[in-house]
Amino acid sequence: MILQAVEVTKVYETRGVTTHALDGVSLQMDEGEFSAIAGPSGSGKTTLLNLLGALDTPTSGNVLLDGEELTTLDSAALAGLRLHKLGFVFQSYNLIPVLSACENVEFVMDLQGVEAGERKQRAREVLERVGLSGLEDKRPPEMSGGQQQRVAVARAIASRPRLVLADEPTANLDSDTAKRLLELMAELNQVEGITFLFSTHDPLVMEAAQRVVRLRDGRVVDDGAGNHG
Amino acid sequence: MSIETRLAWRNLWRNPRRTALSVAATVFAVVLVMLSEGMGAGSHEKMIEDAVRLQSGHVAISGAGYRDHMTLDYFLPWSPELVEIADSVPSARAWAPRIISFALVSLADASRGVMVMGVDPEREPSVTTISKKVDAGHFLSAQRAPGVREIVLGERLAQDLGAQLGDEVLLYGAAYSLENAYELFTLTGIVDLPDPKIERNLALIHIEDAREFYVYDDRVTEIALLARDADHAPLLIAELEGALVPLAPDGGVFEVQGYEEMMPALVQFILLDDAGLYIMLVILVVVVGFGILNTILMAILERTRELGVVLALGLRPAALFRMVYLESMLLAAVGLGLGLAIALPALLYLNGMEFALTGDDLAATAEFVGMEPVLTFKLKPLNPLGSVLTILGVAALAALYPALKASRGRPVDALRSP
Repeated sequence: MILQAVEVTKVYETRGVTTHALDGVSLQMDEGEFSAIAGPSGSGKTTLLNLLGALDTPTSGNVLLDGEELTTLDSAALAGLRLHKLGFVFQSYNLIPVLSACENVEFVMDLQGVEAGERKQRAREVLERVGLSGLEDKRPPEMSGGQQQRVAVARAIASRPRLVLADEPTANLDSDTAKRLLELMAELNQVEGITFLFSTHDPLVMEAAQRVVRLRDGRVVDDGAGNHG
Repeated sequence: MSIETRLAWRNLWRNPRRTALSVAATVFAVVLVMLSEGMGAGSHEKMIEDAVRLQSGHVAISGAGYRDHMTLDYFLPWSPELVEIADSVPSARAWAPRIISFALVSLADASRGVMVMGVDPEREPSVTTISKKVDAGHFLSAQRAPGVREIVLGERLAQDLGAQLGDEVLLYGAAYSLENAYELFTLTGIVDLPDPKIERNLALIHIEDAREFYVYDDRVTEIALLARDADHAPLLIAELEGALVPLAPDGGVFEVQGYEEMMPALVQFILLDDAGLYIMLVILVVVVGFGILNTILMAILERTRELGVVLALGLRPAALFRMVYLESMLLAAVGLGLGLAIALPALLYLNGMEFALTGDDLAATAEFVGMEPVLTFKLKPLNPLGSVLTILGVAALAALYPALKASRGRPVDALRSP
């Protein structure tokens, strides 16, 4: 088991209004899974993904990544954990616009302390793997949405994480591009054994996922445990 | 170059106009700070040099107590050993003995109290420029003609007395022995001095005439010395104090003073002038600090989401702090570099040049402090260093807030921002 959420709740207080974004969510995830958290807008998908990705802390409950309790870690330790164990793909790509595709991919490895030569070589290999050979020196504003999201995937996997979390990765892509991106991630999962967890309401993603955890009003209504494998 | 540095540098130029404006403000401040300091240093040095070369010298040896009382009772015993010391101290450029006292100078019905300076006409020009200020007649002759006692008066004093060249004026005073001393002197020269107070007050006579007039035998009131430059005055004082010990093993015979002690008003004026200058410069540098603060703060507010992303990817808050801090310091460094590239050659070009002050008020101000009405620049090695360190220091402070703000955000909040 790589990831476990235990009775996680998340409550927001905004101007006196209390919102229960997550209400006692429990979830387990094994290495090598290709899974999705699905649900309508406001169901708590992104909130759950943020908690699982050590970007946010639960109001109550606990999250364990690789057996480590996230609630016991400070911000620097959480940053270290994200750096070494997690990869992120965001809905709006979120590449660093002043860095080239290759430098974006290198960035996380640089933070990990990977030596420059190896970093560059790995970045080029991963970009080739996601079909972006020849675009290494392009900066994000010079690339299409699909290309940018491929760079984001390359960035997420180049650091060799235990788990890649992707928040609605296809939301800004046309269906053809989205399909190709999903095929790429599925291949990375099958061939290289990279574990993926998506949050989505895109039927294409749900179709591609081996397991779909369904959320509604901050609760798990179907954890899809029976249909994955 | 590390990715952090590359990122900081490229981020700096994402809004080129804003960065250029901030750089321009820093450049402007650096140039203004350095030129102002250069002008201040040049003017003050000129002020000191003019005052020192007009009368006092950089350092004076006198009898103990002379400066407090300024009477003939506090004398310096004249001896070959003293001459040997004055000749041999390494930091001295020149020296001249003097007998200075007070007397009444009269012509017909007019009389004025004056400071009488008995000087050595051969040595005095090596210490002061007073002999070059003669604008009518000539300076005191080195060799005294039998029966002729020469006197040189300040121009305003001569006017007050209604004295013309060739007139005989009566000098009337008290000798060292307290007997009355009076003697006729022939006006041979009139000096035009920048300081009107001195010009209205000064009578110069040959040191031997002074010795006879005041019945001063083997004594002088002081030896004025010129150091290699004003900065060497403290060293010269130390050398003299050391060298004089054998002449007065028990102490208390000699007094060695620098121009700062002899002309406290000048030092006060310079301090006041410096204070005004530094207040202006501090305001300027603080404005630069706010410029940098504003530029970087705007930049990170615009990039909140991006900063959230790098935090999410695993950049530690301390590293993000360093990155944003580096961005501010790069901004300051670009401004500083360009500012120095403009200000240093300009100062090197202006160094030592003199510009005449033409406005009546400016000239009057210069005259008030006893300096020639000219503007000079001086490049002192420590001034550019001081400017660089000050601006870097202010930038380092200004950079703290944006860097702290950036590094304290939670990635999840930053990612939610538009």
